[in-house]
Amino acid sequence: MEAMDANKKLPMLRQMLLVRRLEDEWGEAYCREDIGGIPPALSTGQEAVSVGACAALGPGDFVFTTHRGQAPQIALGLDVKRIMAELYCRRTGYNKGKSYHITDFSRGVVGMGGIIGAQVPVAAGMALAQKLKGSDRVSLCFFGDGASNEGAVHEAANLAAIWTLPLILLCENNEYCISLPVRAAVKVVNIADRAAGYGLPGVVVDGNDVLAVYEAVISAVARARSGGGATWIEAKTYRLGGHLVHDPQYYRSKDEIAARWEHCPIKRYRAQLVAEGLLTEEKFAQLEAEVAQEVAAAVEFARQSPFPAPEEAFEDLWA
Amino acid sequence: MFDKRLFRPRERVSPEQRKWVSLRGAINEAMREEMRRDPTVFQMGQDIAKAPPFGVTAGLLEEFGSERIRDAPCSEVAMVGAAVGAALGGMRPIVEFQFGDFVSVAIDQITHQAAMLRYLTGGQVNVPIVIRLPCGGGQGAGAQHSQSLYSWFGHAPGIKVALPSTAADAKGLMKMAIRDPNPVLFFEHKALYRTRWPVPPEYRDPDFLVPFGQAAVRRAGTDVSVVATMAMVHHALAAAEELAAEDISLEVIDLRTLVPLDAETIVRSVLQTGRIIVVDEAYLSCSIQSEVIALVGERAFQALKAAPRRLGNPGVPVPFAPQLEDAVLPNQQQIVVAVREVVGRQGK
Repeated sequence: MEAMDANKKLPMLRQMLLVRRLEDEWGEAYCREDIGGIPPALSTGQEAVSVGACAALGPGDFVFTTHRGQAPQIALGLDVKRIMAELYCRRTGYNKGKSYHITDFSRGVVGMGGIIGAQVPVAAGMALAQKLKGSDRVSLCFFGDGASNEGAVHEAANLAAIWTLPLILLCENNEYCISLPVRAAVKVVNIADRAAGYGLPGVVVDGNDVLAVYEAVISAVARARSGGGATWIEAKTYRLGGHLVHDPQYYRSKDEIAARWEHCPIKRYRAQLVAEGLLTEEKFAQLEAEVAQEVAAAVEFARQSPFPAPEEAFEDLWA
Repeated sequence: MFDKRLFRPRERVSPEQRKWVSLRGAINEAMREEMRRDPTVFQMGQDIAKAPPFGVTAGLLEEFGSERIRDAPCSEVAMVGAAVGAALGGMRPIVEFQFGDFVSVAIDQITHQAAMLRYLTGGQVNVPIVIRLPCGGGQGAGAQHSQSLYSWFGHAPGIKVALPSTAADAKGLMKMAIRDPNPVLFFEHKALYRTRWPVPPEYRDPDFLVPFGQAAVRRAGTDVSVVATMAMVHHALAAAEELAAEDISLEVIDLRTLVPLDAETIVRSVLQTGRIIVVDEAYLSCSIQSEVIALVGERAFQALKAAPRRLGNPGVPVPFAPQLEDAVLPNQQQIVVAVREVVGRQGK
């Protein structure tokens, strides 16, 4: 098992801080009504899943996001300015204002999430294309505990198994599908137990431990690249924010949420790096300041950017 | 000349007609040629490799192998989704639905994913997929194996729809569909699969393509414009023959594609005849018949000498028993009666 290189450990912390800061800013922009539309879907508390997973991928691999897409976008190095511009509905955004499920196809990030679970068969198809072309590139899809019940996901998992596709099915179990606790939606304790039923290896990982996620995904990537087919990984995590930023969350207690903040992945990773002697408090403060500056610059870029012209609503439908 | 009974499988084919090309053979040829030309073309479907029920993919496994002619399990959502993903990855998948009615199982992957991904990404991706859908009634196949569901997709943005009525069109439109960078739904009328057609010399050209968005005037006429698709084109042509003896001249327009729709040819015809009947097997309400009438109303209203008419399935599931099925689907007689009414209203 390939362990994470010490040089890469700090950048992953920075990425997690960047996700948190960008999303906090996005949420605040919505709440003070700088932006409107469908409220932001934040991945607060889930940063380690995307950052750990994406660290295991390489150029030419593909990622299919959920509606909480900002974390993989940032983890795969997308331009924060252009992410923010899209969130602010400007034409300088990646999707030119057409959708906040951001895509940068040149970096292999395909933003989906409008229909839950629909990205999983599409990710399987991308894996099929790699296999048919004889490439060793892999396809990774994120989906949640809620989506794991969708027919699309069952069908895609089975297809990946029978066709030995280089697919990584990354089930991000954040314990809630909007207001429905996973215990009320899924009978088994580990969703990954279903993997054996499809004929796939199933792995459960602590989704709040960024290095553990990295190790689980890098194993799955190696299996896929060598022709060994798909892996189902269940990353156990917790959604610290609401489903969308305006969610009053009447379905769970403030005590429950407060208790889970103790296990925040950023807090844990920071403590771990300090204990390993890889991080000082000054360095951490410096990273936070850098990230704040980067996000502030992104907001400025977004605010200065033009909105799309109305005529653009009729462009890009047909190739 | 063209009678519904001609479409029944047991009908004998004359030695001369045996030299003609069957509609399903034309589709097979189109796919074969495009798969030879372009290694990124591959297929998925239930039983397409060894036991295609309508024989359209017969022989392709032997030439192209099981990586490119893939039997899929009963997983329409994953099959279409995988086609979308494979298309993003640079392939050109052709997906066969064993019966087009099953399209309802995979609608999300078609209308929300295949059709929208280019738009939602601001033009970053294309989804060049072809989905083949056996459709149409008249063979007693029952309500969930006899529908003509293209009206649903005339409504949804981002999908092209082909409705071939002859072997030449089937080949040319299929080749065009495979080369098109957009998602295409390719409907194939089951009752037309075994019908045989003479083909023009250019049919043999490996780049024989029929463009989308160009309707075909199958019969020129002056009194009534009859717009039809697939099997109904042939019922309309039979009606035209019958009515010619009564000195009524029909212009029969074969739509060929629903999306894009050739509004110009239809409007030009109505500006000349002043009368329009649209006939299809689709359920009448909110159908393609309705759409054609709407655009004629918008663009040729001043030329109309009579109210426009729609013919179709009035809005019941297609029944199993032939007497019931025949009562539900439009036919030559209904077209003839409708034409006489439309012409009679104004006198002649």
